[in-house]
Amino acid sequence: MTWIESLTLNSPSGFWNPIVWLALLIVFAVIGYVIYSRGNRSYKPNTDQVKPFLSGNEVEDVEEIRVRAGDIYWGFIEALKGYYNVLMRMHSGDLRDYILWYLGLGAIILFILVGGV
Amino acid sequence: MGKLTNFKRSLWVFHASGGSCNACDIEIIAALTPRYDVERFGIKLVGSPRHADVLLVTGAIPRDFADKLRRIYEQMADPKAVVVVGNCGTSGGVFYDSYNIAGPIDEIIPVDVYVPGCPPRPEAIIDGVVKAWLKLEKLEKELEGKKE
Ligand code: SF4
Repeated sequence: MTWIESLTLNSPSGFWNPIVWLALLIVFAVIGYVIYSRGNRSYKPNTDQVKPFLSGNEVEDVEEIRVRAGDIYWGFIEALKGYYNVLMRMHSGDLRDYILWYLGLGAIILFILVGGV
Repeated sequence: MGKLTNFKRSLWVFHASGGSCNACDIEIIAALTPRYDVERFGIKLVGSPRHADVLLVTGAIPRDFADKLRRIYEQMADPKAVVVVGNCGTSGGVFYDSYNIAGPIDEIIPVDVYVPGCPPRPEAIIDGVVKAWLKLEKLEKELEGKKE
């Protein structure tokens, strides 16, 4: 068995080989690059030139024109506003804050369990 | 053979009508009908400024439309040329100095070719577009020069 055969996984419906997959990826990357390199280089980024055409109108923020998934819970959040306002302030999205909470609460639980009050 | 630097493709045109009385617009359409049939030269009206080489503007441009016209102009790829069709866009025409008019068009976006008339004949419009073609050839050469 050659090394390339040893990497091949055969099944009744075909085969899988990472080397063939890699070769295909490289071929498609080259085709992609050729198409990309033939593009118009004179375009101006960060201007209206790169935005969609909407009959000359300004393209609005999608958040303002679409119903968001979060809107499904609107009634729920509105009814429990007091609770959620506190919770949402704590939910900063910063991983360091969550680790701080984790460590802080872990320390308190450890203190109660081990240290004993 | 030396490098070809002239404008090597069909000319695609986007038509923006800003408060025109429709007569200029109908003459542009006349240029597309079988009698003149500019499409046989590759001059074609397209539905988006993103695809266009030339912006054809008609009308005196009311104030509400000025920012939209600016945006349409900015959305076109380079090189691009602007042709104003009719007296309204050229000078304000019968609406000259009116309180609700932001035009003439060259006060809003840079204009390359003026086609006067109220409305101008299709022959004049075709002549204007051909002049824009010459301008685009020049701009394309400049762009090529910058790339080298
Ligand atoms: S220039 Fe004359 S024909 Fe053209 S839009 Fe103005 S009024 Fe109408």
